[in-house]
Amino acid sequence: MKRFLSLLLALMMVLSLVPSAMGESVEDALAAAAKMTNEELYEKAKEEMSAGAQLNFYSTTSFAEKAANNFMAAYPELKLVYAEIDDVETYNILTKTIGSGVKDSADMALTQNGPDLKTYLLDEGLAHVYFPEAMKDVVAADAQDPAIVTYINSLLIYHNGNGSANVTNIWQLTEEEWKDKVFFKNPTNETVNINFLIMLTSPEWNAKLEEAYASRYGKAWEKGEFDSCALEFIDGFLANVNYTYTSASKMAAGIASGAPGNMGLFVFSKLRKVDEADRGNLTILQFENKVEGFSGFMYPIYATVFKDTECPYTCALFINYLLSEEGFAGNKSWNSSQGYYSPNKSILKPEDLEDEPYEYWLDCLVFEDMEYIDEKFIEVYEFIATRVG
Amino acid sequence: MRKPQPNSLLREPLLYRLRAFVAKPANLLLVFFLFVLAVLSLLPMVTMLSNMFTIHMGIEKRQYRMSTGDWTYVHFQKLFEGGDWSRVNFWEPLKNSLIVATGAGILGILIGGSIAWFITRSDLKCKKFISGVFVFPYMMPAWTLALFWTNMFQNSKVGGGNVGMIESIFGVCMPEWFVYGLFPMIVVIGLHYSPFAYLLIGGILKNMDATLEESATILKANRWTIIRRVTIPIVMPAILSTFLLIFSSGFSSYTVPVFLGSAVKTFTLPTKMRALIQAGYEGQGYIIAFISILFGCVILGINQWFTGKRKSFTTVTGKSGQVSLVKLRKANWPITIALIVFTCFVAVMPLISFALESIIRQPGNYSFSNMTLHFWIGTEASAYETGMIAGILLNPTMWEGVGRQVLLALLVALIVGTSGMLIGYSCVRRRGSRLSRSVESMAFFPYLMPAMAFGTIYLAVATSENFRWMYGTFGLLILVSVIKFLPFASRSGVNSMLQIAPEIEEAATIFGVPWHKRMIRILFPIQKSSILSGYLLPVISVMREVALFTLLVPKPRYLLTTMLFSFNETGYAQYGSAVTLLIILIIMIINWVTNKLTGASFDKGIGG
Repeated sequence: MKRFLSLLLALMMVLSLVPSAMGESVEDALAAAAKMTNEELYEKAKEEMSAGAQLNFYSTTSFAEKAANNFMAAYPELKLVYAEIDDVETYNILTKTIGSGVKDSADMALTQNGPDLKTYLLDEGLAHVYFPEAMKDVVAADAQDPAIVTYINSLLIYHNGNGSANVTNIWQLTEEEWKDKVFFKNPTNETVNINFLIMLTSPEWNAKLEEAYASRYGKAWEKGEFDSCALEFIDGFLANVNYTYTSASKMAAGIASGAPGNMGLFVFSKLRKVDEADRGNLTILQFENKVEGFSGFMYPIYATVFKDTECPYTCALFINYLLSEEGFAGNKSWNSSQGYYSPNKSILKPEDLEDEPYEYWLDCLVFEDMEYIDEKFIEVYEFIATRVG
Repeated sequence: MRKPQPNSLLREPLLYRLRAFVAKPANLLLVFFLFVLAVLSLLPMVTMLSNMFTIHMGIEKRQYRMSTGDWTYVHFQKLFEGGDWSRVNFWEPLKNSLIVATGAGILGILIGGSIAWFITRSDLKCKKFISGVFVFPYMMPAWTLALFWTNMFQNSKVGGGNVGMIESIFGVCMPEWFVYGLFPMIVVIGLHYSPFAYLLIGGILKNMDATLEESATILKANRWTIIRRVTIPIVMPAILSTFLLIFSSGFSSYTVPVFLGSAVKTFTLPTKMRALIQAGYEGQGYIIAFISILFGCVILGINQWFTGKRKSFTTVTGKSGQVSLVKLRKANWPITIALIVFTCFVAVMPLISFALESIIRQPGNYSFSNMTLHFWIGTEASAYETGMIAGILLNPTMWEGVGRQVLLALLVALIVGTSGMLIGYSCVRRRGSRLSRSVESMAFFPYLMPAMAFGTIYLAVATSENFRWMYGTFGLLILVSVIKFLPFASRSGVNSMLQIAPEIEEAATIFGVPWHKRMIRILFPIQKSSILSGYLLPVISVMREVALFTLLVPKPRYLLTTMLFSFNETGYAQYGSAVTLLIILIIMIINWVTNKLTGASFDKGIGG
């Protein structure tokens, strides 16, 4: 009898560790996890680990590795295996590996490019969203579904060797004076760049561009060759841009050490890759003067959990951690660098950084809207792709 | 007398023919390789073809309002319908790709072939040095040469206005067309593959019986006539093979056009293929991949037509004891100096450039005060905030990558080299038969497929239900490398076996020497170094391959080359330069060891 009872107990323990085996899907587990405290989640996560699981996660941002190390220091019985993933190949790899049963495939990922996340993972049922109830008050609603763990901005930054660029209106960048002097990663190779251009066609940004147009040229924009003001802007902007630099880091370093007067639209955080001696050559346009139109764009990094994970509670705890001050502002984490902003309003940027809080950027940057881009992608992609050359 | 039954009449010749067929090892080898290649080489092709006619999840599904997996020809309609979309995504890039591939093919053969001739057929000075360093560019990933080109020639008047070495030292600004666009793409790809031309053509030239040229000399033919009427026809199979290889590589090159074409908005088909696949237009992307294969097939067809037309290219009918070198006389030193300068520029300068780039903190500043060894031997405390916990020589991740890459290269070389030699032997012995032609073509087929498309297809295969156990494994990397790099070895095998007259083996057969002994004791020693090229070329190819592995490695820093690409993509130029140097060093060590063990090496013009 004793033997039978111990066997039964062992069986129950094993079954309780495998949500799907008990009929608890990953989605159900995540729903339950959203209501738990971190301590409860840690207990559940330890059970998952003792059943042989480990959390394999992909990320397009290298800071995630540091966050993972900090996480494992905070929760020593949990094992995370980080793998950096190329932004370009993210969804290609994920759509083929999630649910395929391959060994050590990812349990969750931190990815950019919301529209592709929606199209390839969420709409296809390959990934699930998770957001903790406890955080709902400190994180804006539009950053919860799916959970955004950080925002990243790309800003207009120029080489100040010739003095001020005197750009006060975004339409200036479509003029002859800026021909081949605006550096931008090829939008057909850089998903966040094409998303930014598509966002410009939204009613809100189209109106802002019309306003800037009127201010620059003293007349209202009129429909002619282009169906919208945004499309005319995109046409002029892409005619002027230069694709010499194939990565944001190279662009930051290249502009800083290159010809005075060049302007780049690249990831703000990449300034950390610029050598100290050249850093003074760069001026962030928005910090110099307000730009009519916009002075860059902002895109999120989303956290999603995959349908075949064996450790949904560990994933949930890790997402909680990333959203918390400890995770986001821990040792060498995102908050220590310019250009990363937590959706958690209680986490402030360190005062010694040349940066501004998230709220500051709301008016001057084009924010990625997953739904809008998803809806307009097909229509606008062709327009952009044929102008890239 | 019993009359034979009609059935047995039919059966006996069939059995007899079957027995005769099986008795020849070449036939058995051909059947074996036909089966293996049909599965492994045609599988990606079939997958690619089906992708051209099906709807994929995402954009295609939504745009065409169809279900994933539905059959359709809309991708063709869209890509070829005309208008800006076709022009920008297909016709313009196609034109650019053709210019680059053809130009690089011609340039590579001109440079590699000329140097091969000087090394093997003339009394040129400093041969050892020239042949030794000339192969360096082939050891580097092509895009690192593109980086070197921009490092050298970028200037304050083009691109981002970053000062390069030439402007920095001589104050000269090269024009934009020289720094970016089709011209540098042709030069870089041509230079990168010219050692390949040198290896293949040099091998044939070195093995060529000198009496052929001597006979022409006795008949009062002048030097140019001898080259035109004797030397070139003999090396023609190698020239065509080389052109085919360089053309296909140039046509499917992705990274070189990205680095050298983006600044002037010059795009090629592979760059558009990747952009289309990335944007979700997979069907159109695969059509582009298919078209690059078609172009390769045309060149392959020409190659086969030519080698088929000439019944024999036999040049080894017993080793000639004489080596007749053309005397360059007064032109010797000028040509030697010119070649030394040239090889130093294309081979040594990149190494110096990478060495310098790996020790400077601030780009473009080459002063001593800006130099540091932190990227090589920095510790956690002193290393920069660069994503590595230490300099590359102290980093365990880096050494794991080195170990995996070397092991992969050696294993692949072993499999590919042996297979290539056997394919070469069997195809040449059964030359002209349908079976031989099929195996030869199929062995070459994967080469025509862009590495990126190849990687994508094998990713799909390895994550499918029956093969998921392969995904993320080292075995998968071996498999794709073997298939992708078999063409090098099979071409090398065919070229070397073409030179051996069948009478040599027939004589041994008459004496009852078994097949394996004929191979080991006769054929292999005669063409030892040529056959060894079939082993060594895959080593180099694997050691510098990136695109093929990007999608198949479990993590970006799994192999040394994927780590290198990751460093360059993320802007860790110093680490990238250090790893490039390390790759070249490893290849040189393998080359040196091979040389010591077998006497063969790249610098001796493998094949001779």
